[in-house]
Amino acid sequence: MKPKVAFFDFAGCEGDQLQVANLEERLLDLLEIVEIVNFREVISQKSDDYDIAFVEGSIATDHDAERLEEIRGNADILVALGSCAAIGGINSIRNSQDPEKVEERVYGEDADKVEAWDKAKAADAIVDVDHYIYGCPIDKDEFIHVVESLVQGKEPNIPTYPVCVECKMNENVCVFARNGGDKSISSAKREVQVPGSQEVEQGPFCLGPVTRAGCDAKCINEGTTCWGCRGLVDNPNQNAHKKVLDKYGLTVEEVLNKYNLYFGWQQEERKDE
Amino acid sequence: MKVIDKSDFDVFVDNLIANDDREVVGVQEKDSKFAFETLQSADDLRLDYDVTILPPKKYFMPQRETLIEYNLDEGETTPVNRVVPRIILGIHPYDLVAIEQMDKVFEDTHEDPHYLEKRRKSVLVGVNMENVSDKSFAKTMGTATTDSGYDIMLTDIGDMYTIEVGSSKGSALLDKAGSAIDDVGPEEIKKVKQFKEELSEKFRTDPKFDPFELPSLLKEYYGKDQFWEKNSEDCLSCGTCNLVCPTCYCFDVQDINDISLSEGERMRTWDGCMLEAFAEVAGDENFREEKAARYRHRYMRKGRYMYNRFGDIACVGCGRCSEQCLPDIADPVDIFNQMKEGTS
Repeated sequence: MKPKVAFFDFAGCEGDQLQVANLEERLLDLLEIVEIVNFREVISQKSDDYDIAFVEGSIATDHDAERLEEIRGNADILVALGSCAAIGGINSIRNSQDPEKVEERVYGEDADKVEAWDKAKAADAIVDVDHYIYGCPIDKDEFIHVVESLVQGKEPNIPTYPVCVECKMNENVCVFARNGGDKSISSAKREVQVPGSQEVEQGPFCLGPVTRAGCDAKCINEGTTCWGCRGLVDNPNQNAHKKVLDKYGLTVEEVLNKYNLYFGWQQEERKDE
Repeated sequence: MKVIDKSDFDVFVDNLIANDDREVVGVQEKDSKFAFETLQSADDLRLDYDVTILPPKKYFMPQRETLIEYNLDEGETTPVNRVVPRIILGIHPYDLVAIEQMDKVFEDTHEDPHYLEKRRKSVLVGVNMENVSDKSFAKTMGTATTDSGYDIMLTDIGDMYTIEVGSSKGSALLDKAGSAIDDVGPEEIKKVKQFKEELSEKFRTDPKFDPFELPSLLKEYYGKDQFWEKNSEDCLSCGTCNLVCPTCYCFDVQDINDISLSEGERMRTWDGCMLEAFAEVAGDENFREEKAARYRHRYMRKGRYMYNRFGDIACVGCGRCSEQCLPDIADPVDIFNQMKEGTS
């Protein structure tokens, strides 16, 4: 019998489920090996009878937590789908800010009606998570790999090494070496145009050296930089990475800003260790 | 030794691109760096490069390679060896030495058809270094020039290249240049000699060790844990030093199933001993869990283990690891100098 699969979403943009929907004809191949019983982006059917639950989004309210616990109770296997569920994601940018100000900024006069926690959390802050699919959004091939592995009872193979590995294999010019950059410019700050925008960054920066690979270094292949969307590797050498960023002219504040985009929740967890 | 005018050489290369069945690849500019890539025109060839991002090993041992295809329903496996015969233009002497070392590895104990077939169907066109990367210490390692490993070897002596023939494959390639090839004269031989003398002045002068001291120095330093811990403190475990190394050949093998679960392929991909999971085995054991142990292993491998097995120091002094390491902790000269000076 085919395993029953369900998708659920919490605080997030549902972009990861959209990636699954975007599998298009491969979605039909997927249906050969699993039965989908809950997937609001694609079907109207709903069921509480499922084997594998994919949860997307950060957990940010009591109601979220209750719902997630219920899903955990129903599912044999629970998979965090995408960065918000797996590592807290961009919702946790606010974790380091004053919660009242954040609510006021977003909801204005209705701020009192919001019952969100002060911090957005990853799914494993509430329940046991069996597997993680990282990325903002997730990589479609990696999603298929995870499903295919789970159906066969295999451990999915998710890289534990940083993005640099895939970037080197693709023979990209290192972000830090672009435009003739070399280490001798350390004292002089360089301004780097953000591709496709008018924004200018103090640069260069790249979070690839501490970010989990598995994306094939897509962003760097396309000429931009790694923003860390797949989260920190298990044992990131952040001290060494900060020294590198400092050498290339980023201030401590700039480095923290970069880290906060995706690493907010993971950094808090690491502090507690 | 032969000679060819540079303009004739360009015609020769363009003819190869247009008419030879083999793929013509050569060194080209990539942003401010250089890389071996498929050549569209002789104009794109940069034989004056200093060093490429990746060594040419990628042509014999691709980053990702299918070894077999299988069908689980039928229980069938089909060996796969996708060989693209190539003419590779512009290999520096240190990379030629590295390829000779790799040949030994892939012929030893178990012949590796995936590497060897690609290797045998390739023609290696070497070029002596005109420009030297800041980090290169090929002179120290004895690889600034070489008398072997190439099918033909070029030296830029102004408006012409001199050509040394290293094999019948090389001589057959030269036949395609026809009458453009001329015999060398005494004047040109003098220029090659002068070229090599000038080259010898272009390398960094800080190495204080002799390559033949490395096996014994490394043996002495194996147990000095603090030395390795101190030097590896800023290691990002990103594997860059492995991946860009012309003598690193470790790989990982994975079975990748198709979504149908009936078909799949066995893939091998580059791996590296600096990556955390490299020495991880079943039962959650990891033989080199700490970065210091991994960092030490790389040096042991380069300067001692490979020497014990094949008689080669497996560092050719290209300087790629040192140039591309972001925290700047991968310079073999720094480590070997420290050992020579007795730093603990």
